[in-house]
Amino acid sequence: MSLDNIAGRLAQTPLAIALTDSGWLFGAVEAVHVMGLTLVLGSIGLVDLHLLGVVECERDTAAFIRRLLPLTWTGFVVAALAGTTLVFANPQGYFDNLFFRGKILLLIVAGLNVAVFHRFVQPRTAVSGAVAPRVSGAVSLALWLTIVSFGRWIGFTI
Amino acid sequence: MASLVGLAGWLAASPLTTAATPLVTARAWIVPALQVVHIVGIAVVVIATALINLRTLGLIDADRPQRQVQAVWFPVLACAIVVLALTGYLLIASEPARALFRTVFWVKLGLIVLALVVTGVQGRLARRADVAPPTARLLAVAAGLLWVGVIFAGRWIAYADAWPGASA
Repeated sequence: MSLDNIAGRLAQTPLAIALTDSGWLFGAVEAVHVMGLTLVLGSIGLVDLHLLGVVECERDTAAFIRRLLPLTWTGFVVAALAGTTLVFANPQGYFDNLFFRGKILLLIVAGLNVAVFHRFVQPRTAVSGAVAPRVSGAVSLALWLTIVSFGRWIGFTI
Repeated sequence: MASLVGLAGWLAASPLTTAATPLVTARAWIVPALQVVHIVGIAVVVIATALINLRTLGLIDADRPQRQVQAVWFPVLACAIVVLALTGYLLIASEPARALFRTVFWVKLGLIVLALVVTGVQGRLARRADVAPPTARLLAVAAGLLWVGVIFAGRWIAYADAWPGASA
């Protein structure tokens, strides 16, 4: 099944019809998406700045991350659900949009970055002066800021 | 209502706004870039207020003093509000009629003031004891809901109808 095929099917779902018929539903889901993504960006950004040594909220990085993780996951689930819903409003438009494609790609890279961090980098955060946590923080911050920018750019190019 | 219309008209036509308009509309990327900075500012407000309010509710950082949590996050909140006011003003200047002549924009401003006051009062009440009194907890929940309202109202500016007779 091709991507066009999937887009066509998605566009015929009750959700897609509700989104295109309603004058307020899309905007409301967008607002929920903003709430979720700001929670993700705020909490991950904080961890990244901590890894970079910019904010020193806590000495123990692992404990710091554990505190913020529930907020990050809540935000991510909300943003992902709302974001997926938004796609139903214009599946073909999103699939054809370069910034949308780029955003999905970068989200996958961000996921890999998290996996690499937990597997290889986090054990090294206890070592003072370790370079890996700094690199990880910088990469994560750059990725999430680009993801948010691409998201905003979709609105201007779709 | 008449005074609000007057204020909106005055802001839209003020020399500062008309001077900023050509600057922020000079390139197509400037407005979305300002919006990204605005969103980053919102993210800072969201995380700062979430940590302040959740601490009052005892749901996060329960093992550290209220004062310590608030000493970190209230200044961060203040900085974010300044960035948001600046980028918000520049976004208005890019298209003055878009925001100023819509009721939801003024609702948003009202909600921001209310959310800041409730967050501040809640913080003061909570600071007195390590386990916050019920009033502070209630206000912490109210503050959270008010910030949600601010985000909703902000997104709604793009969809709301302008006042009848307004230019755009």
